Amino acid sequence: MIEATDIEGLLFHHRVSQFLFSEARMLDDREWDKWAALFTEEGTYWAPASYEQPDPIEHVSLIYEDQLLRKVRLARFSNPNAFSLQPFPRTCHFISNIMIDSHEGAAVTVSSCFQMTEYRRDKPNQFNGRYVHDLVDMDGSFKINQKKAILVNCDGTQPSSSIYF
Amino acid sequence: MATLIDSGHRSIDIDHLAQSDKVHRSVYTSPEIFELEMERIWEKTWVFVGHESQVREPGQYYATRIGRQPVLLTRHTDGEIYVLFNRCAHKGAQLVGDCSGKVKELRCCYHGWRFNLDGSLLSIPLEGGYDGTDFGKDDPQANMQRAPRFDSYRGFVFASLAEDGPDLKTWLGGVASSIDNMVDRAPEGDLEITGGVFRYEHDCNWKFFIENLNDLMHPMVTHQSSSLTARAVAKKALGADTPAPAAIEILAPFTESYSFFDNMGLHAFDYGHGYSGGKTSIHANYSDVPEYNEAMESAYGKERVDEIFAVNRHNTVFYPSATIKGAIQTMRIVRPIAADKTIIESWTFRLKGAPDELLRRSILYCNLINSSANLVGPDDQEAYRRQQIGLESQGSDWVAMHRDAGRDEDLGDGHIYAKGSSDLAFRNQYRAWKAYMMNGGQSDD
Ligand SMILES: [Fe+2]
Repeated sequence: MIEATDIEGLLFHHRVSQFLFSEARMLDDREWDKWAALFTEEGTYWAPASYEQPDPIEHVSLIYEDQLLRKVRLARFSNPNAFSLQPFPRTCHFISNIMIDSHEGAAVTVSSCFQMTEYRRDKPNQFNGRYVHDLVDMDGSFKINQKKAILVNCDGTQPSSSIYF
Repeated sequence: MATLIDSGHRSIDIDHLAQSDKVHRSVYTSPEIFELEMERIWEKTWVFVGHESQVREPGQYYATRIGRQPVLLTRHTDGEIYVLFNRCAHKGAQLVGDCSGKVKELRCCYHGWRFNLDGSLLSIPLEGGYDGTDFGKDDPQANMQRAPRFDSYRGFVFASLAEDGPDLKTWLGGVASSIDNMVDRAPEGDLEITGGVFRYEHDCNWKFFIENLNDLMHPMVTHQSSSLTARAVAKKALGADTPAPAAIEILAPFTESYSFFDNMGLHAFDYGHGYSGGKTSIHANYSDVPEYNEAMESAYGKERVDEIFAVNRHNTVFYPSATIKGAIQTMRIVRPIAADKTIIESWTFRLKGAPDELLRRSILYCNLINSSANLVGPDDQEAYRRQQIGLESQGSDWVAMHRDAGRDEDLGDGHIYAKGSSDLAFRNQYRAWKAYMMNGGQSDD
């Protein structure tokens, strides 16, 4: 963990935090195109299915998506025949405990705790856990190389969910 | 054989509920019928417990359930596999609290009774206290009790809580060949469960899931939004001439034509078992992995490999508890919780001796299709859930399974065939369901 010890460090921490907040806000506001554009071309979204899962290749994941699969999921969001998205879920992403784990050159790794409430009908579902964002600092803005959402119960029994944690 | 079962405040007429071409809505919604199913089906017939690779080494255990009852699959120091009730012989506490592990012995967390992994008692603290009583270390009841019957077919361990009944091989009948084909697809002739598990909560009766596996009239409707979208997105992103990546090869066939699914065909056997596909299936057109084909040919010879690959089945159902996809090496296990609650576990297998790419494709398949958070499973779950709620209505008491009734082909030896769009799989499952419910799981006749 890198602690901010001067104004520059505090400002950087602030920039990183604002980025995480605005990324989460795009999900809540259903700004899918803007959200997808935050990823680099090789950027992946990964929700592991076990807590210290070493890789997404030889172990199942709740979600492991490259750009192509992300496009499929996002295109499905506006498809009238995506039955598990009727009615379309409302979400509130809450992010806290933001810490910069490493910062070398343009590469920044940030971890945070999240709580996501998803409401579609009947009662809301709660998804909680830790985010690990691998970011690239490019010309004053960040891009996501990988967003990892590790649910605290990722290897436990899960309800249906068709959106991003 | 009693048709009417007195369940306290009202009687349940099994003969009326499950008819040859329709089934009463209460079989999905009634908690009393669910309890009877636990007793007469799940706690009588052969239920899948685990795969031998989960307990490769002596001391390993895997905790699961048969119907409502907690059990342990273990490997003892004699090298043998056992299925034990997961309860201390003393005051009933579960011997292990987690899902799997490796131990020298099983020691109860409450009063320290110790057991071997074959269930036999090792020691009781202050055992002299039982001297002169009706109980003590020499009483067979002081051992952990074994499931009345358990057996393995090519690594797949099943157990039955009934003393009597058909042996496992007889019970598997025509679907044993689906296990054969999955195992034969490994150059070393062996499988290994690996890569974690999904536990996916379904808000529905267990039978909706097990019926859907060979419901070939649903993919093009339920999965239209995923499959057609995958085709369109890939075409736009890659162009029409670039070969589709594995993920798209997996998603695209869900929206094949009705005639494609008709040609896959349905096969039904005694005890509710069956499979779809055979000569072809939605898994038949995945890209070749040349190193895998070479490994297979050097293991089996060209002729035998052609035979193995000529069999391409979709879902094989081992009614009521399990289903495999041999062609893509995945398995799902049914855990009924309540009339309207079911947990589906998904597992993946490594074909021993095959290149890693095969496992990676199975993992990708499992992610895309079986995950609770992905592109196929949630739409299935939504359909089951809507059925569960829809059947609470008095709009009709009946669920139809008439499609192509009377047009099945009898291939002999209890093997029945129909085209893919037939309701054969449902009618066959309810034939077994009815026999279990009426005869207490003893036979299929
Ligand atoms: Fe489906």
